[in-house]
Amino acid sequence: MVWRSVLFSLPVEMVVLRAGLCPGLTEDMIQLLRANGIRTVVDFVSSDLEDVAQKCSLSYKALVAVRRVLLAQFSAFPANGADLYEELKSSTAILPTGSPSLDQLLDSGLYTGEVTELMGAPGSGKTQVCLGIAASVSLGLKQHVLFLDSTGGFTASRLYQILQAQTEDEEEQLEALQRIQVVRVFHIYEVLSALQELRDRLSQQVLSSTGPLKMVLLDSVSAVIYPLLGGRQSEGLALMMQLSRELKTLAREFSLAVVVTNQVTRDSSTGPLKPALGRSWSFVPSTRVLLESKEGSWEKGTSHRAASLAKSPRQPTGIQVQLDIGNGDVLEPSLVTPTQGL
Amino acid sequence: VRQECHGDAARTAGGSGVTRKCTALDLLEEEQSQGFIITFCSALDNILGGGVQLTKITEICGAPGVGKTQLCMQLAVDVQIPECFGGVAGEAVFIDTEGSFMVDRVVDIAAACVQHCHLIAEAQQEEDHGKALETFSLENILSHIYYFRCRDYTELLAQVYLLPEFLSEHSKVRLVVIDGIAFPFRHDFEDLSLRTRLLNGLAQQLIIIANDHKSAVILTNQMTTRIGQNQSTLVPALGKCSTLT
Repeated sequence: MVWRSVLFSLPVEMVVLRAGLCPGLTEDMIQLLRANGIRTVVDFVSSDLEDVAQKCSLSYKALVAVRRVLLAQFSAFPANGADLYEELKSSTAILPTGSPSLDQLLDSGLYTGEVTELMGAPGSGKTQVCLGIAASVSLGLKQHVLFLDSTGGFTASRLYQILQAQTEDEEEQLEALQRIQVVRVFHIYEVLSALQELRDRLSQQVLSSTGPLKMVLLDSVSAVIYPLLGGRQSEGLALMMQLSRELKTLAREFSLAVVVTNQVTRDSSTGPLKPALGRSWSFVPSTRVLLESKEGSWEKGTSHRAASLAKSPRQPTGIQVQLDIGNGDVLEPSLVTPTQGL
Repeated sequence: VRQECHGDAARTAGGSGVTRKCTALDLLEEEQSQGFIITFCSALDNILGGGVQLTKITEICGAPGVGKTQLCMQLAVDVQIPECFGGVAGEAVFIDTEGSFMVDRVVDIAAACVQHCHLIAEAQQEEDHGKALETFSLENILSHIYYFRCRDYTELLAQVYLLPEFLSEHSKVRLVVIDGIAFPFRHDFEDLSLRTRLLNGLAQQLIIIANDHKSAVILTNQMTTRIGQNQSTLVPALGKCSTLT
C-alpha cells in the first residue's frame, strides 16, 4: 500500500521522457536527447531549444511543438483569485472544538482543508484536548471522526466521561461513541497504511458505516517519527515528508480537518521550548498551538493549562488563553494579549 | 524485511485484528471488562483508578531507596492472584538492569500473599476459592516470574525486541516489569540525540507489546535534580523529551 501511494504522487521532475509521451516524440529523438543529457520533462522544457536543435541535429520546429504539448500536459492551470475564494467558501467548514476559548484562539474553530498542530511537553494535555475535540465533533456536529492513536494514550473511559459531562442522554452518548473510529498505529508504516485505506474509502465514496468523515486526529506524530530521525538512517526524513504530503493532500482533497500532536524539545537545558521534528516539519501545519501547564503545577495536579498561538495564517501569534481540561467545561475566556509570546 | 515480519506477527497475534481498528464504543466495552493488577495498598489503587492498568505503560519514579523495586516485586506476585480473588491470573516478566532483584524478598511477599488469600477463602467459604488456592502456591508463583538480567543498553534493547516472540509462546503473561530503565542510559552516553532516539523507539516497542498482549508494562525511573533560576527541583530522569510517561 505504501508503494502505491509513492507511485501515484511522483513529482514532475521524475517524469522521464519516453516515446509516446506526446505525439511527435519518437524513440530516435529520445535517444539523441538522452545522449546530450536531457532525460526528464523538466530538463527538456528548461533547456535552450536552439542549442538542443544544433547539438542533437533535430528540427527546431519539431522541438518547439513537442515542448508546447508537454507544457500543456504537465503544468497546473492558473485560477483567478475570485474563483478560488468562491470555491473555498463553499468547501471549507469550520469545526468548533467544544472549548470556546480554544475556538477563539483558532479563529472560531478548526478549518477543514488544513493541518492544525497541538504541541506540548508530556502531560501538558494534548491527548485530553484531542479527546475533547473528538467528543465535540462527534456529539455536537454528528460527524464521524477518525482517531489515529500512536502512543496508546487513547482511553475510551475518559472519552465517555467527557461525553457524559456534555449530555445526559445515554443514547446520544453511545451514538457519539460509535461515530469515533479508533485505529492504533504504533509504527510509521501503519500510519501510512491507515491513511491510504482512508483515501481509498473516501475516493470510492463508500458512505456505508463510516458516514461523512470530517476530522482526522493523529496523536502523536512525533512518537512514530522520532525514532527514525537523525543518526545514519536517511529514510526518516523521507518518510516524514511522505506522511506530511499524505496528510495535507487528504485535508485539501476531501475537505477534512486534520489535527496532529507533537512534542517539544529544547536546544539546551535552559533554552526556550520549540516544537520537535525540526524545520522541515514546521512548514506542514498551518496553525500551531502550544499547550503548557503552569510553573511546577505537575506536582499540584491542576487541570488548568495555558494555550498560546505559535503559528497562524489568520490571527496574530502570541495570543494566550486559559483552558480547563478537566471535564470539557472551560473557564471564562481570558484573552491575554501578547507581551511575551512563545 | 524486518517490517514485514513484524506485520505478520501482528496479524497472527490475533485478538485485535490486522489494523487494530474499532469504534470508541468497542474500546469502552473492552476497557470496562478489563481487570486491574491490584497493589494491595488501597490508597495507591485509588489514585491509579483501581490498580495498574493493563495495555498501558506505567512509570514509577522516586529517589533511591524509596521502594520502587519492592513495588515491582509485589506486582509480579499480585498479577498471579486468581480471578476469583479479584486478580488477573497472569504471569510476569521481570527485566532487571540494576541487579536489585532479591529472590528471598519475593519469597516473603509471595508467602504473605498466599496467606492473605487463604484468610479471604476461610472468611468467605466459596468453592472456587478452594480450587484456586490449590494452584496458587509459593512454588507456582515463583515459577511464573520470568527473570531476565540486562547489563547494558544494548542487552536491554535486544531483550525488548525479542520480547514479542517470548510473549507469544507464554501467552499468559500479563505484566512486564523493567526495573531501571534509566540506569543503562544515564552514564557513559555521549550522544544525547541517539539516547532520545533509542528511548523513543523503546517506548513505541513497549506500547506495542502492552497493546498486543494485553499486558501492563511497568518502568522504574530514577530522579535527577533540575537546577532552575531560584530553586532546584527533583524531576524524573531522562528529561522532558522522554515519551515514557
